[in-house]
Amino acid sequence: MIWTMEDLELLDDEEFEKLEKRAARLMSLWQIQNLRGNAAIFHDDQHIGEQRRELNAVKHPGVDVKSMREQRLKPVVDSLEGNTLIHPLTTPVIVVDETNTRARAVWWSLGIEGLSRYRETPTAIVSIGMVPGVHVIEDGQWKILWGAWQRTTKNEYHAGWTRSMIPTNTRPPLTQEQDRAGFGRYAYQTDQVRCAVPWPPEDDTWEKFPDEMSPDWQMTHP
Amino acid sequence: MITQERKKELLLALNKLEAYHQIQNEMGRLTAAFNFHDRDQVLSHFALEKEDVSLEYADEGRFEGPEAVRAIVDQLIGGEAKPGEMTDMQLTTPMIEVAGDGQTAKCVWWCPGAGAVTDEEGAHALWLWGQIAADFICIDETWKVWHLHYFRFIRCSYEKGWVEDLSMINRANTPMHPMSLPTTYHNPYSPLSIRDGVPCMPMPYETYTAADRYWELNRDKR
Repeated sequence: MIWTMEDLELLDDEEFEKLEKRAARLMSLWQIQNLRGNAAIFHDDQHIGEQRRELNAVKHPGVDVKSMREQRLKPVVDSLEGNTLIHPLTTPVIVVDETNTRARAVWWSLGIEGLSRYRETPTAIVSIGMVPGVHVIEDGQWKILWGAWQRTTKNEYHAGWTRSMIPTNTRPPLTQEQDRAGFGRYAYQTDQVRCAVPWPPEDDTWEKFPDEMSPDWQMTHP
Repeated sequence: MITQERKKELLLALNKLEAYHQIQNEMGRLTAAFNFHDRDQVLSHFALEKEDVSLEYADEGRFEGPEAVRAIVDQLIGGEAKPGEMTDMQLTTPMIEVAGDGQTAKCVWWCPGAGAVTDEEGAHALWLWGQIAADFICIDETWKVWHLHYFRFIRCSYEKGWVEDLSMINRANTPMHPMSLPTTYHNPYSPLSIRDGVPCMPMPYETYTAADRYWELNRDKR
């Protein structure tokens, strides 16, 4: 059935506003998925300094914009040739708040990478992880407030995830201990029980954890 | 004049769109709980108040009724999680068909996945790929799993791959769980297997009837 303007004009204001609110929250789900899809493209495309649309919230008082932008200008490989990060997003759980201005979400991912730090023959990598995060409306658009890749595995292709764990690529390179304290904090380890983080947000996540900057919701067993 | 019928149509459309989202969230939460080895959280997503709630897992048999569902979940993840073990199933390719009456939904996901098992030699990486077909039912405004069937497609050593390692596609010839009923369908990949489109895609329907049970096994592609 195709709805026309004439049809909508026959609804009274209260009916219309209720429908408008429900439709807007449903639209937000698509917009947030699209936003994170776009972020996944940028995640793979590491052209330093190239102009691109801003996907992160930059006006929220909790965001350190200066550090974020400085970080983007630090090269971690000599050449872009042979480097890639394909982290498809799966298993979405998204909860938009009642005001339709904030949303928590978790995705899982099973991906692949190619890594060549100093123009050496690239290493093929299998990369499994999650993307927990919070999103807010800024200037009428959904933006990423915080939340990026959380590694489960990052292994040399032939070795598999039980025999290889490659640290996050930085300059200077991280030690295993430094990596464990950062992106690898919840990564798979052969001698440990898997850590249950992040828990996907529950429907009442915004009632239980009203602060959008707090990471507690993803650490808390439902 | 706008008719009651047209208002109903609009509400049904919105209700369906919200149901798609809620079901995707619920299945995402269930999958995370399964991966995190959390028996109670997995069971919290099943409609245990329904006498005909069911779970069929690969070739472990069908488990019908709340007691039997608890039993197979116990068998799968009831024990202590061990260091080095990992299950990382993910949900992709969602096909969700909410009934016209808004009370039930038929769903399929394709599930790439990774894992690890341990023995006296250490940890071993696995590929775990399959599909999920599920019926959801709305109880007190919450969508719950009514019937779930996990179709194993690949379970193999990561190093050897799915063509070479066929040792884990079928269960060992050990006693079945005493509450198990005969498996309805098990056709994992092997070099001699022939794939057919099962689970099939759910088709639009108005109300779930007894004839809809096992719709996912329909091989008639018309």
